[in-house]
Amino acid sequence: MSAGGSGEAHAAIPQSQLIAFGIVGGLVGIYAAYFLGNVAGGVFSFMGALGAICATIWGAAAVRRVASYGLGTGVPSIGMLALGMGVVAAMFGLAVGKGIDMEIAGPVIAVVVASIIGLVIGIFANKVLNMNIPVMEQSMTEIAASGTIVIIGLAVAMSGTFLFDIVLTEVITTGYIAVIFIAGGMALLHPFNANLGPDEKQDRTLYTAFEKGSIAMIIAGIVALSAQNASVGLVTILIGIFLWYLGFTGFYARVKRDAFKVVGTGLLPSEEELE
Amino acid sequence: MIDIAGLIAENIMYMLLITLGGVLISVGVHFVPVGGAPAAMAQACGVGTGTVQLAAGAGLTGLVTAGAMMGVTDNMGLVLASGTLGGMIMISVTMLVGQWVYVYGVGCPPASAKVKYDPITKDRQDLYISQGTEGHAIPTVSFVSGVIGAGLGGLGGGLVYYALLKMGEVAAGLTVKDIMSTTGHELVGLASIFAVGIFFMNAVIPSYNIGGTIEGFHDPKFKKWPKAALTSLVVTLLCAVLAVVTLGGM
Repeated sequence: MSAGGSGEAHAAIPQSQLIAFGIVGGLVGIYAAYFLGNVAGGVFSFMGALGAICATIWGAAAVRRVASYGLGTGVPSIGMLALGMGVVAAMFGLAVGKGIDMEIAGPVIAVVVASIIGLVIGIFANKVLNMNIPVMEQSMTEIAASGTIVIIGLAVAMSGTFLFDIVLTEVITTGYIAVIFIAGGMALLHPFNANLGPDEKQDRTLYTAFEKGSIAMIIAGIVALSAQNASVGLVTILIGIFLWYLGFTGFYARVKRDAFKVVGTGLLPSEEELE
Repeated sequence: MIDIAGLIAENIMYMLLITLGGVLISVGVHFVPVGGAPAAMAQACGVGTGTVQLAAGAGLTGLVTAGAMMGVTDNMGLVLASGTLGGMIMISVTMLVGQWVYVYGVGCPPASAKVKYDPITKDRQDLYISQGTEGHAIPTVSFVSGVIGAGLGGLGGGLVYYALLKMGEVAAGLTVKDIMSTTGHELVGLASIFAVGIFFMNAVIPSYNIGGTIEGFHDPKFKKWPKAALTSLVVTLLCAVLAVVTLGGM
């Protein structure tokens, strides 16, 4: 159970497992897309979006954990904060990777830098702003890192690589980075925002995150249609639609499980029936 | 290899401007009458949405108007004035339309429960408060406060954007005006998404400071602003270091 302001949320899956799932899944997805892309062409860029989905699930779990203490303001703020930190760290990581002639290290640098920014904000939130949320420091670090992986993962799904110059021309200059910003932010903030309340369950929230991540993947696929080529985009879109279907049916099954009763309301009554 | 120390020494002025911009955004948010969910039900003073949405709406408009001015002139004063006015116009329109909804739709008079008399118009407030609410709609003092806040936010956003482009200017060998008037220059996209990221961070920090809702500068919570300003100072300075390496090293 977890309503906003009720303290630590009950978690069936411990956060440490989700952290491992998010970091490992996210980075494996990003690097797999990059290396397989070098070998087999851009078709494998969908792996980047799979990495982004792993990070989304992790990030949504971290948002759920910290927001269940009650932030005093809406849950959306933390999603925007996550992507704000994430975008700065992601651009820095990729650019520095290029600057030190080790572009391959870019995503890892980005995640480390994001964690530092998140930790600083978390410490200040508790010590200076007196928010007094016990998991604030850890959760802010996790949220920033997952936001960064989401951004890089979706950028890879769009452009096929995380090389700074290509990401710059294909994703940032074209303005698709704004789409990543909002779609990724939504994927992080929406799951808990939509499910919170006394009957909130971790698996239902995480299924929403999975479904939202798949929508972001479909959008990345649509961008890849023009940023790379039609076959690359189509593969990403089709896999995205399949994952979305899995996510949505999983979510709906859990809604039916958690609800007292699910009944159809039927169509609106006609005028004669009302009389 | 990137010469980080050299880049920082070269761009120290712009780093300070970015930090100042971040602090201005953070302080500006404290002025904006954010009502949150209670205000959406006309049970608290202010506009019925969250800090981030309001501050982002006004501040990002400021960023766009500042950017539009950059394409025309290199004058920093004009660019910043354009950003400030953009933010002010955006929040004024938001508050005005919100006011119509509260007055003509919900049917409640604008009144604040935090003060007995409006500090600007000296109108009595407590007589008009509906029972069980903490005020409703946007009284004059909140409106004026909101315009000041959005002005600061737009100014801060414009400052961050301008300083980011100035950093890139050194690396790209073009003036800001040339960069802005070149179609599809990559620096514009990078600087704007950086500015948006810094903007969102500095909009969320004060929102945690005030606990989600505030009525304006007459609200007792307004006194907490130095805490958010300090947090923003440190966080934005960190971001400024990252920005100088990213943009300056291009």
